[in-house]
Amino acid sequence: MIEAKGVSKFFSIVNDDGTANGVTAVNSISLNIPSGKIVSFVGPSGCGKSTFLEMIAGLQAPSEGVIYIEGKEVRQTLPSTRAERIKYNRKHWFLSPLANSMWKNKPKHDIAMMFQDYAVFPWMNVLKNVTFALEMRGIIKKDRIEIAKKYLEKVNLLDSMFKYPSQLSGGMRQRLALARALSVSPKVILMDEPFAAVDMITREKLQEDLINLWKETGITIILVTHDIDEALYLSDEIFVFSSNPGSIRNKFLIEADRPRKRDDSYLIDIGKRISLLFEYDTKYESEYTI
Amino acid sequence: MNNYKTRGVISAFLLLFRDFGKFFKGAALNLFSPSFLFVFIPLLGIWEVLPRMGIVPSTLVPPISTVLVTLFDMFANRGFLQDIIDSMQKFFMGLSISILVAIPLGVFMGWNEAIRKRTLPLFQLLAPIPPPAWVPITIIIFGIGTQMQVFLIFLGTFYPILFTTFNAVKDTEPRYIASARAFGASEMTLILRVYIWHAMVSIVSSIKTGVSMGLVMLVIAEMYGGRTGIGFVLNEARHFFQISIMVACMLTLGAIGWFIIEVIKFIELKLSIWKGGRT
Repeated sequence: MIEAKGVSKFFSIVNDDGTANGVTAVNSISLNIPSGKIVSFVGPSGCGKSTFLEMIAGLQAPSEGVIYIEGKEVRQTLPSTRAERIKYNRKHWFLSPLANSMWKNKPKHDIAMMFQDYAVFPWMNVLKNVTFALEMRGIIKKDRIEIAKKYLEKVNLLDSMFKYPSQLSGGMRQRLALARALSVSPKVILMDEPFAAVDMITREKLQEDLINLWKETGITIILVTHDIDEALYLSDEIFVFSSNPGSIRNKFLIEADRPRKRDDSYLIDIGKRISLLFEYDTKYESEYTI
Repeated sequence: MNNYKTRGVISAFLLLFRDFGKFFKGAALNLFSPSFLFVFIPLLGIWEVLPRMGIVPSTLVPPISTVLVTLFDMFANRGFLQDIIDSMQKFFMGLSISILVAIPLGVFMGWNEAIRKRTLPLFQLLAPIPPPAWVPITIIIFGIGTQMQVFLIFLGTFYPILFTTFNAVKDTEPRYIASARAFGASEMTLILRVYIWHAMVSIVSSIKTGVSMGLVMLVIAEMYGGRTGIGFVLNEARHFFQISIMVACMLTLGAIGWFIIEVIKFIELKLSIWKGGRT
């Protein structure tokens, strides 16, 4: 289970004229994500959903609030007072607090991450990409190849095991990223717009693959997307984000059975309500910005 | 398991052969391609004919045939091969020292902000000093000899390699690092398996820049203090006004530089196998 309590993230942006502005990227988000579900974060671009996902992954520290994965704190909150900040900087003078340990491969949390593109290392071939992830979990070499083969077979990539990612199509690269994320059998997979870079037909096929693999393994999947249809087809819960400042506007529970039909009237109805929220958001914004 | 390994090696070999074809095409065949020879042979002809007809004084511009005869004579009677070997020994000593120092230093500087903050300003202050300006003080400290020459070549090659390595490592795609860290990669693993590989192509091409600077420093070092080497022969020829020997030395230096850079280009291609069709 993933729990967020009053999580906020502030940035400072330097303007062209040299002045600096404080920006609230994420404004006090509290939510619970139950285990074994697919949860989507939907929202217009710039609403802080990717930032929030990165905070769950521990790639950024929250400015306020805490995030727990299975009751374990993901990352210490950033210091807010000057004295605390000096102490914090002194403690992390050499290695950035985002870094793992210097010598030992050990994940801080049992998670895997998937990105829109560049998710796989282009200098390793398909098999090595998967075994790299397994190596980080401390699995011995013989088992690594066995497990990697098993997951590559699940995503139909066994034939192109020795190819480099540049020799694969976009959909195949994304399937490789999926196999790599699944192979370490994490508790949570965090996906940042995973299917945004592929064409529609491939995307629908990938979504079906994802659902099938999720059914087999039953891990928690958190999905960030701007595509409402994708969120409707895949997820059990949808959190709708609004921008300026990024916060949760609404939450939808989707109780349709799987496999779902894309033209299900129930789903379409919810989709309409979500896009109404989007529209309201943009209207609301234009009234208040100059 | 062994089976996969063999298959991996075989496919790597096949890619390598494809790249060797590219190398051969790019390096050797380009020199002998009809389109280039169409320009090159007339140029050589002009070089031969103009001094012979007396349009330019042949004492100042020796015709190509004289230069080739001189070159042959230098190899046969004056032990020019030994000079080339001496020069190359110094050159590769200097180059390999600077590779061994600059690449790890650059990687660590690009990887860690704390190291970068403490070292980069020093190199930024020292790098703009033109390497030839180091010659007098180097001669005083090291004396005239191999040590001083190797040090000067090291100075010439060091900064281009250092700065390119450091920039390439620093600009590594953050998503690669993020996903590796999420899998639990330690910092050492990140350096050895992500940062270095991402920067590899830029590092190798920075060595190319280093090679051309190194050749400059080789000639300068041998001119100022040396008993052997191409630069020494060149400088000696200046004292005796033997222009054909000077031209022969220049042609040799050009050929050496061309060959080293082509070899590095080939290594570059081999290392960027994974870029696939985009090379």
